[in-house]
Amino acid sequence: MKDIARQSMSIKVESMDLLNGQIKMEAHASATYLAMASWCEQNGFFTSAKFFFKQAEEEREHMMKIFNFLVDTGANPISPEVTGINHDYSSIVDVFESTLEHEVKVTKSIHNIVKKARELGDFATERFLDWFVMEQIEEENTVRDILDMIEVTGTEGVGLQMIDNQVANWIE
Amino acid sequence: MNVIFQSTYYTLYQAANERCFYVDFGQKTVRMSLCQLLALRHKVMSINIEDHFDSDLNAHGFEVLMLCNKEHLFVLNTLEILDLKTLVSNSFVSLGLSVGALETITS
Ligand SMILES: [Fe+2]
Ligand SMILES: [Fe+2]
Repeated sequence: MKDIARQSMSIKVESMDLLNGQIKMEAHASATYLAMASWCEQNGFFTSAKFFFKQAEEEREHMMKIFNFLVDTGANPISPEVTGINHDYSSIVDVFESTLEHEVKVTKSIHNIVKKARELGDFATERFLDWFVMEQIEEENTVRDILDMIEVTGTEGVGLQMIDNQVANWIE
Repeated sequence: MNVIFQSTYYTLYQAANERCFYVDFGQKTVRMSLCQLLALRHKVMSINIEDHFDSDLNAHGFEVLMLCNKEHLFVLNTLEILDLKTLVSNSFVSLGLSVGALETITS
């Protein structure tokens, strides 16, 4: 019997489901960073706003990377529904702390897919995610560095504006 | 044509010479590519069966299922949906594209 199914699709459906979930998560991250950019603009943190506009774009690129992988493997990529985006932050520190929290969540999710792909013997998906594993180290590190800078600068007096100015160092 | 999987109401066939699949829904048989089969899987697995037991969420316990880019329309009851879920999940195991153990679709 000819194996039409395997000839049409080169990853497991379980991996496909998890990757579709990750597409959603990257889209959600992109939308969240856009909301943060909006908050920064409205509260006078213009450099930070630039940083988050750029982050929003990057997250969309992550999403498209996964989307195209599903196309290439003959799977069924699903355009994500994005809901429940938070626009309320109590301070610029809150914004960056939420960013780190969000990135850690994304890292955990990617590690979980790698683990499942390994269990499934889905080498293609596992190898594909190598890039994301390394990217998450970078992303987490960037936000951690910014939070360290905030800690050193302090939020008293002109601290907040100094913080915003220094965020420029993390915009390539 | 080879039978890939048969549930209580439905059967999935593979037609190797045509490089496609056929799903026998009882009232009619629908020809499908693997892509369309994946789309069917997505639709069926996205149905939250618990809604059928809540008269606010699903008053009549029916699902309207459109397949193959709106070419076919089915109105299915709770038992038929459950059976279709069985067909879909087992078929992908039989096709070698699923291990069956990890049930991951939730939304
Ligand atoms: Fe990302
Ligand atoms: Fe990120």
